[in-house]
Amino acid sequence: MSLAQAQTTPEALQLLRKIHYATQSLSYTGTFVYQQGERSETSRIARIADSSGGVEKLEVLDGMPREIVRTGDVLRCYLPESRTVKVEHAGDQRSFPALLPERFTDLARHYVITRGERERVAGLDSESVLLTSRDELRYSYKLWADAASGMLLKARTLNEKGETVEQFTFTQLSIGSVARHKVKSKFATRNWQVEEAAAAPDNLAESGWSVSADLPGFRKIGEVRRRLHASPEVRQVVYSDGMAAVSVFIEPLPGKHDATRNGLSSLGAINIFTREVANHLVTVVGEAPAASVRRIAERVEFRRPK
Amino acid sequence: MKAKISELMDSELHGAEATAPLSALREEGGAREAWRTYHLISDAMRDTGVLSPGFSDRMVRRLAEEPAVLAPAAWRGAVAETVRRRLLPTAATAAAVALVGWIAFAPQDVPPPVPVVQAPVTKPVPKEPARVLPPAAAHDYLLAHQGYSPRNLLQGVAPYVRTVSGEAAQRKR
Repeated sequence: MSLAQAQTTPEALQLLRKIHYATQSLSYTGTFVYQQGERSETSRIARIADSSGGVEKLEVLDGMPREIVRTGDVLRCYLPESRTVKVEHAGDQRSFPALLPERFTDLARHYVITRGERERVAGLDSESVLLTSRDELRYSYKLWADAASGMLLKARTLNEKGETVEQFTFTQLSIGSVARHKVKSKFATRNWQVEEAAAAPDNLAESGWSVSADLPGFRKIGEVRRRLHASPEVRQVVYSDGMAAVSVFIEPLPGKHDATRNGLSSLGAINIFTREVANHLVTVVGEAPAASVRRIAERVEFRRPK
Repeated sequence: MKAKISELMDSELHGAEATAPLSALREEGGAREAWRTYHLISDAMRDTGVLSPGFSDRMVRRLAEEPAVLAPAAWRGAVAETVRRRLLPTAATAAAVALVGWIAFAPQDVPPPVPVVQAPVTKPVPKEPARVLPPAAAHDYLLAHQGYSPRNLLQGVAPYVRTVSGEAAQRKR
């Protein structure tokens, strides 16, 4: 089916809404495999739905155990190898909602959204929806959801050649009430280092920075100043087209920055472009093809304000 | 019963334990289907019989030429092990779908085998620039970024696995 002929269908948008609703309202436990590049990792996930946004836990089972626990608006990343807890506040990030059900129809400007075939995934009868990119600036997606509950069971990210660059696949899923201990971290973190993001709204233009997505459909959804690794003040601007997001990080150039690592790198579906501008390090990170990430990075300019 | 079929296949049932599953297999139906499915999975993992000879070698070579594509050595090694150890028997059916789907996605036009004598190969100029190593702080950037991803609204906290994927290996750099 050529893109010229294909049209977004209401049934496909309906399935997207169903998936969104299921993710927000259900309690569940499950096991999934995440594949990117040459890597494959198995994780356990659990969620308890409640009136304050729910509690969720992700536990990576391969290699050193790592955990992510989200309680309402606070997200903690537990890294036992370095005895560190990193804390992010999702509340800071929700001031520009990236994707609401009513914005699903906006998505159709840049993706053709259609229903795919029914298949069995994780032993469940599932429906599928395709989001086929209308251009080469973003990826395409295929999502499979449990026909009964709407829970997303499998998600595949495809590049412009139709090759899979990333995949999430549930292998086991139980929907229903979840014991409280399943969403608690197993780590005793009393002597661990805690790194708070401490993000605050920022205005980069005021300090002379010019950043733009310059990609159709990508609009700004966040602009903050925050702590990141060793830097107390890193600026971050985020763009999204409703399905993918790209962040631009700007920080003072670290003393021992290795310039040979400037340029393009990839982690599966995530592309990263690093360059230096006005004695600062610009890092663009996102779920978009390399050319798009690079384009955003090369648009970053600095003009000292008068 | 499907769990028992899998255990039977792995020679983990002995004597009386095997009686019920063996009886079930005599009838056509779910047990027989499970038997076929599990053999499909283990064949796929061991690359015996189901696929044409040399298929996976050709696929490895073909996909190795494309830097952006997932290398199938991963599914033979890491994924197969992961699936086998952790997920059978409860998820064998799903694994069959995952693995068979993986094979199905391989390019349809498999090129002829590479000649033994290595003639110089002129590769087409790649469209994309060469890649460098990801930044040492890649996972910090990913963690700061992931909260904004619309994928969270469709998958909950699952996409955060990207922020810690290979974290231990990455930190050694």
